[in-house]
Amino acid sequence: MTQGRMGASGAPVVSFENVRKVYGHVKAVDGLTMDLRPGETVAFLGPNGAGKSTSLDMLLDLRKPTSGTIRMFGSDPYHAIKAGRVGAMLQSGGLMPEVTVRELVALVTGFHPRPLPVEQTLKRAGIASFAGQRVDKLSGGQTQRVRFALAIVGECDLIVLDEPTAAMDVETRQAFWVNMKAEVAEGRTLLFATHYLEEADQAADRIIVINKGRLLADGTPSQIKARAGAKRISFRLDRIDEPFLLGLPALVNVEIRHDLVQIQSTDSDRTLYALLDAGYRPREIEVSGVGLEQAFIAITAEDDRDGNGTTPGRSDSAGVASYAQH
Amino acid sequence: MNSTLALARAEVRRLGRNKRYSFFSVGLPVVLYLVIAPSARHYHVYGVAYPAYYMIAMASIGAFSGALTGNAQRISQERKDGWIRQLRLTALPANAYVIAKIIASMVITVPSTVLVLLLGRFYGGVHLELWKWFAIGGTIWIGALAFTALAVAIGYRFMPDTVQPIAMFVYFVMSILGGLWFALSGFLAKIGDVLPTYQVTRIGTDLISNQSVPATAYITILAWFAGFVVLAVIAVRATAETV
Repeated sequence: MTQGRMGASGAPVVSFENVRKVYGHVKAVDGLTMDLRPGETVAFLGPNGAGKSTSLDMLLDLRKPTSGTIRMFGSDPYHAIKAGRVGAMLQSGGLMPEVTVRELVALVTGFHPRPLPVEQTLKRAGIASFAGQRVDKLSGGQTQRVRFALAIVGECDLIVLDEPTAAMDVETRQAFWVNMKAEVAEGRTLLFATHYLEEADQAADRIIVINKGRLLADGTPSQIKARAGAKRISFRLDRIDEPFLLGLPALVNVEIRHDLVQIQSTDSDRTLYALLDAGYRPREIEVSGVGLEQAFIAITAEDDRDGNGTTPGRSDSAGVASYAQH
Repeated sequence: MNSTLALARAEVRRLGRNKRYSFFSVGLPVVLYLVIAPSARHYHVYGVAYPAYYMIAMASIGAFSGALTGNAQRISQERKDGWIRQLRLTALPANAYVIAKIIASMVITVPSTVLVLLLGRFYGGVHLELWKWFAIGGTIWIGALAFTALAVAIGYRFMPDTVQPIAMFVYFVMSILGGLWFALSGFLAKIGDVLPTYQVTRIGTDLISNQSVPATAYITILAWFAGFVVLAVIAVRATAETV
């Protein structure tokens, strides 16, 4: 959609510079460095406890970093937020009870320095049909959409969404992304955290993966998938020579069950040709793309293994990040 | 400031719709006054006729209970629900939430206080110069402001489950030992002497009986007020990362 990534022009919308957040002995965020460029749609991925929420909280000035710097539109986050440049929706954000949806949206619209018409916001968020209902009488999915409405009550330059579709059913989720794409088509930058990997795959120009508070991978969805082996090759083979299979080129991972072999490879053609050139004639060959989900699991699992060693592994993750960007 | 006032207006509208709040801050004192004041018409306490004392007491009860228990519970709940977080993500100035709560609380105190004072005048037969009505109303209002500050402190510091018993405990201690349910004498009056609730009643009854109000009465109220404000500021600051 947006072509603005890599060579994007202009100063970063958001920059994290070696940001750390420590609670007692726990390093929730441990030296995170990243940039968001104008117009990008960026998915923020990581397993539970990876530091996503803490990072978003610090970005939105709800928590202060223990060390490091966060800049937003060239100033500190607090001033950018108070200037109305950010529309944000958090999982942990609540709504004022005892008022109607329309009253609430109108109230929050009034806080914004560049407000948009209330009726328009209600339509854009898909909540016009229940605008007269009381906020405390809504379903989970409806509440979620009202939260989204509060993030878009004014003209902002950056939208930050923490698991925006968590309480939504499939249909509502699709409708949500249709609306969301219209928002970012106007040149806004979007950062969203999600658990739904297919959502990141479909909506994002760029994916940032963090684990244990550190940046693990940063690149386009296809780059992230390539990180974990882009293709899966499966076939049946009668006499299996395991050492030979493990020596195949471009190989990431091999699984063998009886006569069934499953290989993850960064270059399925090369791997397959090498197998055939060696004289093997496998049956029922299937080559398929690896989903983002497998890529994500592979990347974080690899990091967790590395993390058990003696080195803290920070240089590793920086290496991974630069690898993914090339 | 405009958006803070808009938030305060919304808070007032919500409080007006809340039945529980209206019952404790308006319904209860009015009903008690209607029932009890006439039956004790011939008694005298604190140097004034019972209906005059009871007018001060009931106006204070309504104002203080609304300011304390209502606000503490709601602030704690809204903090837990994440509404305070949500507001911090908007362009609203920092602390607008607390300021709006205080403004709303002070606005909503006015009708309940005025209502009980009007009952005192037209039903309880209390006759006073105009300035004294304003002095009495103003004193109760300042007292309510102090309890709003305490509500902020409790609401920010404790979760809703804990807030309820704490606020009720403070409410009963302050109202009983402040002589709002019945007039105090002897040992209890000595304890009450250090409480802001007792001093509010005392200023009111002294004004009605044309006695000069001792400076210690004002000092006691202001000291509690200052103490509650300090507690509130500490609580808001200490919880900045957890709201």
